[in-house]
Amino acid sequence: MQLLVNAFIAGSLAALIAGGLALVYGVLGIFNIALGQMVLVGGYATWWLHQSVGLPLFLSIPGGIAIGGLVAWLAFEIFVNPFYKHHRFLPLVTTIALSMILDGIILLLFEERPRSILPGLKETFIVYGARVSIEHIVLVVVTLLLLSLLAYVLHSTALGRRIRAVTQHDHAAMSLGIPAPVLHRVLFIMSGVLAACGGIFIGIDQSLTPTLAFALTIKAYAAIIAGGNGNVWGAILCAYVIALLEQLVIGVHWFNVFYVPAGFQHTIALLFIIFFLFFRPQGLFATRARTA
Amino acid sequence: MDFFWHIVITIAHTLPTFLGYNLVFGRGKILHFGPYGVSIAGAYALFLTLMHTQNYALAILAGLAVALTISLLFAFLSLRLTPDSFGVMSIAMHLAMIAVVLNFSFLTRGALGLPSIPRLPFLEEIEALAITAIAIAIGFAFLFYRLEHSSFGRALTALAEHEWHAKSLGVNRTKVTVIAFLLLAVAHVHGNFFYGQHIQFVHPNDFQFSHFVFLIMVIVAGGPGSMRGVILSAVLITLLKEGIRFVPLMPDVLGPIRLILFGLILFGAVWWRRDALFPKQRTV
Repeated sequence: MQLLVNAFIAGSLAALIAGGLALVYGVLGIFNIALGQMVLVGGYATWWLHQSVGLPLFLSIPGGIAIGGLVAWLAFEIFVNPFYKHHRFLPLVTTIALSMILDGIILLLFEERPRSILPGLKETFIVYGARVSIEHIVLVVVTLLLLSLLAYVLHSTALGRRIRAVTQHDHAAMSLGIPAPVLHRVLFIMSGVLAACGGIFIGIDQSLTPTLAFALTIKAYAAIIAGGNGNVWGAILCAYVIALLEQLVIGVHWFNVFYVPAGFQHTIALLFIIFFLFFRPQGLFATRARTA
Repeated sequence: MDFFWHIVITIAHTLPTFLGYNLVFGRGKILHFGPYGVSIAGAYALFLTLMHTQNYALAILAGLAVALTISLLFAFLSLRLTPDSFGVMSIAMHLAMIAVVLNFSFLTRGALGLPSIPRLPFLEEIEALAITAIAIAIGFAFLFYRLEHSSFGRALTALAEHEWHAKSLGVNRTKVTVIAFLLLAVAHVHGNFFYGQHIQFVHPNDFQFSHFVFLIMVIVAGGPGSMRGVILSAVLITLLKEGIRFVPLMPDVLGPIRLILFGLILFGAVWWRRDALFPKQRTV
């Protein structure tokens, strides 16, 4: 039971990050390698506002989200917008450069020490044999609310219809008067905001370290690729599946003989996804693009 | 004088890797972002065999076998996935390789690295090591020059420019991709061997993602696909990388500043070379 609860908590974090990204990939067709660093920016900004500046948590969190959104906007204007129309693979390289720059800035400002937004022991209680804290419940509920809001916007609003139209065919949508370039910018910033929320989730639940960035990026993209490139709900489902795999790998006493060392937690889940992609490279829920 | 030889050896032993990667990424436009995953697997196979058997031929064979096998896996993955998905999953493979080395500590010594790597008797002097590394680097440069101007090089360029058109003209994508990946693996094993002979110590940190950024920076700055440009940028950027050590700053400040500087150089290089890196596809 504890494994399932842990998987649900970790999966919620991954789903939060992967959901926004899948939307960006579906619309812009680009991968952002600096995603993990953008997650950390949101977390570290909230930590700084709460622990160094001394703002209360209810102000620090919106501040962290705003800084995350601002960094995402700057990243789009400098590292993505001038390149992705030229060739959609160019941002893959420019965001590698961005990841190095953000890594360097994070190391300079916050050093390598772990930073926790809410330090100290968290009060836990037992639910159906699994140990959880109030923070866990709040984080999971907020994540589910955000994902529900995303679903509502995508499927029940005019903005959502426009986004889905741009996802299906950029140029056809533009010919119908939908401002695709503006939507591209909005979606990228939205993915940055969701990433910043993920960083705040990590900073409250565990602690932030600069080394987390690449593992977060790769796990989110593994979910997107396994879910079927650009399929938001496929990505969210696969984020939960990867989290469950990670928990099962290290939590199960395999054949009553051995435990897998914790150091392999992320690796085995990723290798499983790679193995799966050998047989179904288009992912679980790939959708066909519309053609004439 | 030792620093001069150190720079010469560093450039000479990494040059074949740069040229191999130039073939895969620069000319072939294959988004292979995990070459150091191949490198770390080959390096540990090579040096663990060497330290246990003291047999150089067997060690090089073991290093080659492992590097070629992992490269085949990468090549197969690149043929199955979309180019950008392969780019991301190749980073995942790279991180997985580092995790394996770090966690199999009973075999690899994990984060402690492999110290006291023996040197070949005739490479004890640093000058001898430098001259040998230069001679082999020239050999590799000649090999890559011939390959780029052969039917293989033309097929790789054609596939990069327009895969369907190339295939319709009879270019075998599987064969060309596999050869390019295997050549890069051989260059990695060479680089690892000379790195071990020079530093006599191998550590998982020598294969981290920042090293890959240095590799891609050299290719983009030199002009993707241009051998002459890549050789020139390898020399200049290696001089810059090694020269930064002498900037009078604390190590905990110097490390992040180096990351920021290399990130800015990579960004500038992509801006400058964007037409050569991924040209706009020809349309009718």
